[in-house]
Parts: sequence; C-alpha cells; structure tokens
Amino acid sequence: MAENVIGTDISPPDLRAKITGRARYAEDFRAEGMVFAKLLLSPMPHARVRSVDTSAAEAMEGVLGILRAEELPVPGGGLREAALTDEPKYEGEPILAVAAVDETTAAAAVEAIRVDFEPLPFVLDPLESLREDGPDAHVDGNISAGRGELGSLKWPASVFEEAGADRLPMGEAPTEWAIGDIDAGFAEADVVVEETIVHQSVTHHPMEPRSCMAYWQNGKLFLHGSTQSTERTRGGVARMAGVEPDDVVFIGEYCGGGFGSKISGSPIMAVPAVLSRKIGRPVMLRITRYEENYIGRARAGFQGWAKMGFRADGRMTALDLYLVQDSGPFGASDVFTAATVATASYQPENMRFRGVAILTNTPPRSAQRAPGGAQIVAMLEPLVDKAARELDVDRLEIRKINAPGHDGWLGPQQGGFTSAYVREALDLGGELFNWEEKSQLSGQRNGTKVTGVGMGLSPFTAGSAGRDGLLVIRPDGKLHVHQGIGNLGTHSIADTARPAADVLDLSWDQVEIVWGDTSKHLPFSTVQAGSQTTHAHTRANHAAGTAMLGLLQELAARELGGSPTDYRVADGRVFRAGNRAAGMDFAEAARRAIAIGGKFSGQEVPEELNDATKAAVAGLAGEGLIAAARDNYSRGGSVYTWVATFAQVELDVETGEVEIIDLASTTDCGTVMHPRSLAAQTNGGVFQGIGMAKGQRWVFDPKWGIPFTKRFYTARPPGILDVPLSPRFAAVDEPDPHTPVGAKGIGEPPVGAGEAAYVCAVADAMGGLCLCRTPLTADMILAELEGRPRPYGLLETHV
Amino acid sequence: MAVMRDMIPPFELYQPTEVEDAVRLIRQHGDKGWVLAGGLDTFDWFKDRIKRPEAVIDLVGVEELRGISAGADGGLEIGAMTSLTDVAENADVMGRYPLLAEAAGLVATPQIRNQGTLGGNIVQDTRCWYYRSGWPCYRAGGNVCYAATSQSMNREHCIMGASRCVAVSPSDTAPALVALDAEMVVAGTSGERTFAAADFFIGPDIDIERMTVLKPGDLLARIVLPAPWEGARWYFEKIRDRKSWDFSLVSVASSLRVEGGMIQDARIVVNSVAPYPVRLRAVESAIRGRAPSEDTGQMAGEIAVEGARTLRHNDYKVALMRNLVKRSIRDAA
Amino acid sequence: MEFLRRALNPWGENVPIGVAWDLIWAAVIIGAVFVVVHALLVPKKLPAGEIDEGEAKGLPDRIQRHKPGARGFHWTMSATMFALLITAFFPVIGIQFPWVTIHWIAGVLLILTVLYHIYHVFAKQDVRNMWIGGRDVKEGALGLQAALRRPVKRPRAGKYPVDQKMFHHAATLATLGAVVTGVLMMFRVDNFLWARNEYMFSDATWGWIYVIHGISGIALIFLVIAHVYFAIRPEKRWMTWSMINGWITRDRYLENHDPERWSVPEAGGAGDVEGSAAGGGTGQPALSDKA
Repeated sequence: MAENVIGTDISPPDLRAKITGRARYAEDFRAEGMVFAKLLLSPMPHARVRSVDTSAAEAMEGVLGILRAEELPVPGGGLREAALTDEPKYEGEPILAVAAVDETTAAAAVEAIRVDFEPLPFVLDPLESLREDGPDAHVDGNISAGRGELGSLKWPASVFEEAGADRLPMGEAPTEWAIGDIDAGFAEADVVVEETIVHQSVTHHPMEPRSCMAYWQNGKLFLHGSTQSTERTRGGVARMAGVEPDDVVFIGEYCGGGFGSKISGSPIMAVPAVLSRKIGRPVMLRITRYEENYIGRARAGFQGWAKMGFRADGRMTALDLYLVQDSGPFGASDVFTAATVATASYQPENMRFRGVAILTNTPPRSAQRAPGGAQIVAMLEPLVDKAARELDVDRLEIRKINAPGHDGWLGPQQGGFTSAYVREALDLGGELFNWEEKSQLSGQRNGTKVTGVGMGLSPFTAGSAGRDGLLVIRPDGKLHVHQGIGNLGTHSIADTARPAADVLDLSWDQVEIVWGDTSKHLPFSTVQAGSQTTHAHTRANHAAGTAMLGLLQELAARELGGSPTDYRVADGRVFRAGNRAAGMDFAEAARRAIAIGGKFSGQEVPEELNDATKAAVAGLAGEGLIAAARDNYSRGGSVYTWVATFAQVELDVETGEVEIIDLASTTDCGTVMHPRSLAAQTNGGVFQGIGMAKGQRWVFDPKWGIPFTKRFYTARPPGILDVPLSPRFAAVDEPDPHTPVGAKGIGEPPVGAGEAAYVCAVADAMGGLCLCRTPLTADMILAELEGRPRPYGLLETHV
Repeated sequence: MAVMRDMIPPFELYQPTEVEDAVRLIRQHGDKGWVLAGGLDTFDWFKDRIKRPEAVIDLVGVEELRGISAGADGGLEIGAMTSLTDVAENADVMGRYPLLAEAAGLVATPQIRNQGTLGGNIVQDTRCWYYRSGWPCYRAGGNVCYAATSQSMNREHCIMGASRCVAVSPSDTAPALVALDAEMVVAGTSGERTFAAADFFIGPDIDIERMTVLKPGDLLARIVLPAPWEGARWYFEKIRDRKSWDFSLVSVASSLRVEGGMIQDARIVVNSVAPYPVRLRAVESAIRGRAPSEDTGQMAGEIAVEGARTLRHNDYKVALMRNLVKRSIRDAA
Repeated sequence: MEFLRRALNPWGENVPIGVAWDLIWAAVIIGAVFVVVHALLVPKKLPAGEIDEGEAKGLPDRIQRHKPGARGFHWTMSATMFALLITAFFPVIGIQFPWVTIHWIAGVLLILTVLYHIYHVFAKQDVRNMWIGGRDVKEGALGLQAALRRPVKRPRAGKYPVDQKMFHHAATLATLGAVVTGVLMMFRVDNFLWARNEYMFSDATWGWIYVIHGISGIALIFLVIAHVYFAIRPEKRWMTWSMINGWITRDRYLENHDPERWSVPEAGGAGDVEGSAAGGGTGQPALSDKA
C-alpha cells in the first residue's frame, strides 16, 4: 500500500525551480520581436485629461505606438475600472502606454508627452466626503448605488457636531441589519464597552509586481501574467482584449504572491494585450514596484464604532457596530463581510450593523487576505479584552464562552457552519502558549520594559463547492492532475491533488501536476480567493479520483473479466481483490483506454461538467484514461476556519517600541493536508497581520492626495527581525464532516488573529488601554505613555 | 512633461582606480557629475529620474579609499569606501570603538551593509519623502517646505535646527563619529582638507541644498578616529519602526569618560532630530562631575530638548530624544 | 537666457518658483557698465553755477539739508538694505552663512521704516514735492546737456533735483515690490507673530510672489550700485556729506537749488527747514526724507 499522502510533508513540484531561480515568472518570458511598454501615470488624485500632445514622443526613434484609454475594447467609466483612463480617480492611475524598442526609449517617450490635466476636487477621508460641502471622489457622487451606478450620500452638519472630534459620526447608513433587539441586549448587559476605532488601508505589496507580456498568433492572444487563478483569469483577459475565451492562452505558472490583489489577473493586462495587437509586436509591460503601489490594490480601511454588552457570566448580549469604509475609487465589499465575520467570533445574542462605503481618490481596493475579516477582528478583540477586565473574566475564557460550536450560526441569515472546533482550537492554543502562566506576566515590569499578553480569535470563510476535477492516466503510467487553480505560493496546486492520489492509493512520486497554462486543458476551478481552494479542490479532485477509480475498475472488468467491484486499485495498478498479479498497471490501463475510447479516454463526458472542463477534456481526448468529475458532495453550511493567535510582547516605556517575545497560533481548519505548509501559511498570515498593526503604513499627503509609502522601505511591511524566530503552531486536525477529505482553507484567518493578538498584547502592556487604531506605531504609544498630545486625530486615516 | 519613475536614465560611467583620477573626474564634471559609492542612496535618485547626472564616477575600484588601518597617535583610519559590514565586524573597531561598530551594524540590512560604505552612509542625502518624491521644495531649489505645513505628514521630521527645511539627517554612523571626535578628510585637487565630524554636517540655514560641507568636486576620502578615551563608556541606540531596513526615528550616541564614579568628559550626540547630527554641548558640560545615574540622565534629557520646536506629527520626538539622552548616560557601559 | 526658474509642482504642473539667479550677474554687470560709461562720459566737475548775491542775502552760512532724524533714517535704511541684499544674494553666489533670520528681521525693520516714511510723507509733507512736472523735465533736459558738456546754463533744482526724483521712484517701486512680497513671504517663516502657512496661496501665485521679490531685489542691486557710485562722485560729494553732517553751504544751496522752488528761512530762524531733506544726491530720497 502506498503511504497515505494526506497529512504528510511533501516537496511541491515547483519548489526546486523557485529556489534555484529556474522558475520563470511573467517578466522572464521573451517572444520574437518583443518590445517594451511604459505607462504614463496620473499626477493628480482626480482629474480630467483635457488634451494630450504625443508628437514629440512619436517622433522619437524606436517609439512604436501609443495606446490611449478609448482604444480599449472595454473602456472604464463610473465604477468600472479599466487599464487606462482619461479621468483618473487616483494619483498614479495609468493614462496611456507607450511601446518602444526598449524601456529606456519608452520611458523617455513618456516623459516627452504633454498631458494637460484639469484638476478636479478629490477626497482621501470618507468622513470628509460625507460632509454636506465635502468633495466627492467622482464627479457624479461618492457611493455605489448598485448596478454600477453612482449615488451621493451626505450627512447633515449636526451629525458631525454631535459626534465631536473623538467619536465616529453616525448618520444615515445605506446598509443596516439586525438580529434580535439591540436595546434589549444592552438592557440585559452587566458591562457595556464602547470605542471609536480606526483600521488603516494598506497596499498588498506582493513580491512580484503584476508584469505581463502579450503577443498574437493567428488571431489568438497569448498572455503571460501573474495571477492567483489560472483558469478563471482567461475569461477576464478575453473580455479585456475583446475576444472569446477560446482565443486566449493564458500562461502563469508561478505567481509571486497576490494576497487577493490578483484573483483573476489584473486590469492592467489589457495594455500589452491590446497594444501588441495594435503594433503587431509582442509587448512586455514590466510593472515596477512604484507602479505596483498604485495599481496593485489595497485593503479597504475602516473608521468604526463598536459597543458591546456582556452579562456577568461573560456572554455577549449585544453588539452594535457601525463601519465607514474607505472604498477607494471603484468600491470594495469588506465592510459587509466584516459584520458577518464578527458573528462567527462572538455569536452575539443581539446585534445591529450599520455600514457606509464611501468612494475616495486613493488607489483601488480589492480583497486582501481576509478582507473585512482581519479588520474587524483587530478592531473588536481589544474591546472584548476591555469587557473581560471589567467583568473579571479570563480573556481566553470569554472567547470560549462566546465562540460558536457546531450548532453556531453566521451572519444576518444565521445559517449554520459545516463544523466549528473553535473551543478546541482555543484550548489547544492556551496550552501551546501556556496562557495560564503567561497571562500572569501581564503588566510585569523589567527595567523600562513592560510585558503584555494578548490573543486574537479570527474566523474567515474557508471553502466552496461545485468545481470540477480532471485526471488523466497517461501511457507513462502516471496520474496527471490537471489543476485550473493558480500557483501563488501556497502549495495548493500540489496539496489539493493529494486526495486523487489517496483515493487511488498511489504514491506521490507517481503524480504529475499540470498547471499554469490554459492551453494545457485545465478544468473549471474556483478563483483562488476566499481561502476556498483547499476545500473546493480537495473535493473536486476527490470526486475525480473516485471517478477514476470507477473507470479503472470498469476497464479492468471489461478487459479482464468479472465485475468492477471485484477490482482494487493501489500502487499504480488495478487488480483483482486478493490477487495483485491479476490486473494491469496504469500504463497498460491508459493504453487500453485510448484503444477503447468513449468514456474511458474523454470522448464522452458527464453532462454536468462545466463547459470549461468539457472543453479541456475534449482537448485531451484520446491521450489516456481520463476522469473528469464535478464536486457533488454535500455542502452542509458555511465553511469557516478559525485561527487563534497568542502573543507576548515587551513594551519599552521610554521609547514606545514593542518587541514580540512569543507567538503561538492554533487553528481549526479541518484535516491537516500538509503540516509544514499549513504552519507556514498560518505564521505568514499572522506576520502579515502583525505588520498591519505594528508599522506597515499607507501615508498620503492630504493637500496633494499623493501617497509616500510607494516602496518597501517607506511602506514598511514587517521584516524577519520583527517577529520571533520560532513562532509556534498547532492544529486541531479534526475533519470537517461535510467534505470528503475533511480539509478547510487556511489562507486568510491568520491575518486577523495575528493583528488582534498584537494590538491586544500592546493594550495589555498599557494597562488595558486600547488606542484603538492601526497602525499602532511607537510614536503613538510613546505620546500616550508620556501624556503628550496625540500625534493624529482619533479618526484620522492614512497616517 | 509627464513624470516617469523607476527607470534609470542613461549616463556616462567612469570607474577610476586611483584617487587622483577620481578627483580629477569629479572636478571635471562638477555639478554634472555624481560620485557613486555603494549606490544605496544614488540608485533611488536615479531610478526616480530626479537626479540626472551626465557622468557617474564610481569609486568601487579605488582601492586606496578602502580599508581600516592604524592612524597616528593610537587612532584609526577608515577609508570612505570601506563597507559598513567591514566597519561593523572589524576587530579594531569592535574592540576600541564599539560605538561605531554598533552604529554601522544597525544600518538597514546585511545586504545593504555589504554594499553600502561608511562614506556613503555619512554623506547620504536626507530621506524626507517630500524631497525624495521630487517635489520642488527648498532643498530641491524651490521655495517651499511641503513637510512643514499644517497638513504635512512629518512624523519623521525635525524638532530642532530647522531653517525653512525640516528634513533630518538619516545617517546611523554620523552621530557615532561625532561622538568619537572623528575627523573627515576631504580630497581635492589642491590637496586634502580636514573637518571635525561635528563641522562636517551643515544645516539648511547655511546651505539648504546640501547636508555636508562637500560641494560638487569634493570627495570624502577617509575618516580618522583619534585614540579613544581610556576606559570610556559607550551607548548607541537607534529607534525605528522595524528592526531592519529602516532609518532611525531618533538615535543617540554617547561616550563618557568616567573616573571615580563621576563623569569627567562626555560626548552626547543625537540624530534624526535635526538636519544634522546634534552634539549636545550644554548637556555635556552639565553632566560633568556628576554620576552617570538616572537623575543625571533625567536632567540631561531635559536640557537636551530645550528649545525643541515640533511640527504637526512629531511631538513624540521630544519625549523620545529626552529619554534616549537619559539612557545614553544612565545605561552607558 | 531664462528669466524665471520653473519647476513641476507635485501635480506635475509647470509653475514659476523664482527669478533666474543669473539675473544677479546681469544687474551687477549692467551696474558696472553704467558706472564705467557714466564715469567716462560725464565730467566730474560741472561748470560753476552763478551765485546771485541778492539771493544770498540773509541766508545763513550753513543751510540744514537733513535733520538728525532724517539722517538716522537714511542710514538705518541703508543698513537694512545692505543687510537684505547681502543676506539675499551672497548665499546664492556661494558665500554661505545662516541668512534667513537676519534677512527677515532686516526686512521687518525696512518695512517699519518705509511705513514711517509713507506716513510722514502723506501726513506731514506735501507729496507734490516729489511729482515730476514740466519744470523738472526742463531741468532734467538742461542737466543732461550740461552733463554731456554742452554749453548750457546749469539748471537749478527745486526741493529735489529731478534725477533724484526719478531715482526715488525707481527705488520706491523696487522697494515696495520687495516689501509687499516680503510681507507675504513672512507667512512662510515661523516667527513671533504667526505659524507658517505655505499653502496660503496656490503654488503658482507663490511662484509669482517669489519672482517679483527676486526682480525687486535684483533691481535694487543695480540701484544700490548707482547710488553708491553717485555718492562718491566728486561733484555730488557735498550732498553725501550733507547726509552725514546734515548741512550744506549757502553757496551750494544757491548754486544747485532754485530758492523759488525751495525757500529756506533766513539766518537766525529756527533753522528748521520745512521740507528740506532732499535725499542727498545719492539716489535714495525715499529712504532719507525728512523725519
């Protein structure tokens, strides 16, 4: 028997290439006659192009063409973003692109172009736009009114006056929902806590900027790009280029990080796609770090207010939440997710949520690793601590009291979860971190350093269902797992293939992963976002593996006699039960499948498959034994993963500096697929969250609307020295009963857990004082400790 | 004319191997030339196409500018092109000038310290992000300080020594060298000139476009350290937002000569609070004859921040500077 | 040659930021050329004026031209002007020192002095004395011919010679240009009155303010060169001395001034010559009028 590969550490097939540098990312590709493009970016946060004079640029030797916004097959407008625009909504939005024989020429040509911009009013702070006379991000309004339309939302001055400087103004909210009776909830409460809280917007900063290269051959577009989801990027690229998906070959084998900013490619991919068609040469657009800061997406920030009521026993009776979201110029949906995520932490007996999403002239938002979730967890967890202190309930205990069990519910619809081993994860974390002892260190002073301990519990969605799996056993005898998902560094292309190997009892070295190129016949997949992939594609590949098992048994019965149920499959052979010799190996099976044809080699496919999968199977037909299957397994509720992170910090009261001494995280993410990778994913997310809380910044000059944190050293994502060398990790490892493999996703929930653990630990070191904002930098802490004026207003953003 | 960033424009590259050739090339090109050491400051400017010299004189091949050797009177001489790693890990520096070794070792990251030079770290330009964004501020020859308005984001900017411009000196080694009474030897065609480290750095009141006495055509050749005080106590601390690849919010360097439990002489230097490293002479004389205690430190800190003038977002620097000066006396070892 | 320094503002808009510093040298060169040409062409001695003994009758030997207060003001203003020009331009040409504080404090002194002068001129004196009328034109034409060695009768001035008036007006324009823009620029310097506000005007407006300030300053370089030159010219030195010791001789008075246009009290009078403090021959009447 082959060793069960689920739950063991493996080396993913792309690892060696990445470490040795052989891996080719989008900007490493070359095509015959390839030229380079450069972008001209808007210098103003909101403007209109009055005129463009490209004559000097066009006269330059080596300049091959210029692409303007109106030449895009799908131009932008209103809330629809396009690669280029004549009405930029943020400083840095691309206006046009120049192609030239090399980048030096293209850059010089861009500099030689004169663009006459008409500056328009702009806004960075949502609250400013909500004022009656405040500026709007778009000429036509400041909110999305649905269906791509713009609307306007203004609050009367009295709303701001009532709130004063230190409390969130709360006017009319377009989104509002409630569970139970919020007033009754507070009436029942023994302790009520309330805070105004700011969570910053931060850029994604993946290591690989979204460079892309495109060329056309016989009417087909070939595009090399950086994406999180290969199969689901093709359609978007086709739309941008104005062609059918069948006429697009998208290649992206490696992706140097996305964090939600490259879910299905990027709008900028339209530039090389359309420009290369225009000039008849392959076009490479290398996006620089500076440009990535602008077009590379960002997390939506919140200005919020929360009020919580607790009974003496620690149970949350009421949660009243008001969030104002900085949606960037084209919108974001974090604010709606946020409130739902809060219910997955606390199961409040009564709750009210009000939300406002305001457009601003800052770079576009998109999902960023736990969009809405990380923010709300980091915002609310310190309030839970505050209540626990007042109630004299242990902080770990109060989370256990409120955490959902398997009968828990989610969001305003109050639907159920597939599983929720949250208390188990909290208990495991308490042990791993040694909470009982460590929490006693709280406030202990050693010289100028004060110890703080804190924890954060962070839920996030972690799965989806209904995708397809596609397996081929070729005459080489190997199992080829076709993966339509992307390869953004999470190992999911390998890990989600394991169930197929497991079902077939096949050793891992007999498995080949096919990925990263839509011409390689990839099945319909999830977008690799929302931490869905592990869940969705362990299911899909489990289904495909099961289908392959059936096909092998059927083939053996047909070829060797007997009934399919007489046959077993293991170690790359299908054989009669009890007699290994009576059977055939996979290579033989593949050859016979090709000879027989029909359903064995892809000439017939199940009707229920997605069209993309059918097309993929059709492309592979006749190349081996082919099994394609749809994931029809039960759903059983919302799939959620919880991560609990515990942090011990030392705060230097003379400098405001915080050092993280110890860090431990645990999770309920169902069955552990790949322990080493799971720990890496979790710790990485925890660090990312700590970065947001501790010092990563997105600073704009308010007068000019221009950001300064355009590069790594000014944006300050955390470095390896900012976290403990050996963070600890453990998983509950209880299978989710509603999915065949039992695995749920892990990508997103660690971010909020790390962030919350950090802010809670810092508050703990400050005697329970919550500064209630991120980033929480040394200057803010020191000013507070020294009783000096606050460096920033309580509601100030982009600091 | 549209703005283009992140793309180095072409230039003529010169790679002399002798100091005199380097000096001649530097003179020859004047303000159209650019002296390249490790490139950590340079390439940011070049990439953003804000500084566009016609000629770049790369000093990497000038062996004479590299290395650490014994100086006169028991001191030490460090070539300006010596890498920060070599400074931080040199046995003589570590043994006799741990203040400098520590300061050099806290610069940025290991890679940057391998590539970056002591000279480059000393003469690097300010990191004010308004200035580095290519905005036409005073320092860039314009007529405004964008960092000192009522709306500016100036958490990193100065609390003293401002004159129109409020940028700060970013160097980690500069305060250490001032505290060590180092001398800067500047090469030129007419021979060498020597400046005390404290006089090498200039404020915007004197020249708003430069941070040191070096003018186009000048070359910092080496740094001369006098023999350290017998039994001196040292302190260096750099406060920054993250522990690698970051400039200081405030840094402090001190050297104390303590005899019989009393401070006999002291050098206390603070950086990133002003456009130049600030030697706190008033503090130095106030603590003479006192024990290096918490109380002395407290008093020193209070004196140090007298006259500080804060901007919109950098009030915390007053407390931070006061506390670091306190520590530099209390915790010197 | 560029007359303006321009830059791209943070939004990439091309805005002026000041006057081209090369104009400093232009002003110096023009000043030097003027001095050399004038020195070569114009005789250092004018034909002796005729002194009408009748007019001299009853006049004191020494006629007060500048009261001590007026002289004090002249020299205060000279000092502030020199301080302003030195602090403005020496750093630009490479002589570096901390200049900003001296510059704005000198500027404030200059403003106060100018304000006082304006107040005095309008409240206590007849502004018409400084107007250039028909007689001044005639006087100027004669003066010019005399200077060019034409055989004409040496003209006599009223209270102020016409060249002084012209100089005064040029200097007034330049000084007011510098003063008005300087006051606005004070809003960009932290001082004892207010916190700086760099965004009071748009950057283009600020740019023009700097341009005007620069042009005024550079014009003053030329004016000061000419002023100093005339002050040391032999035939004008009597006026320079009068700015030091306050008086001129009766002969100088009669030689150069028309008693009909500038009457002085007779000997034994109070000696307080109403409106007598023409600003010497030194081209800076605005700074040295009667206190």
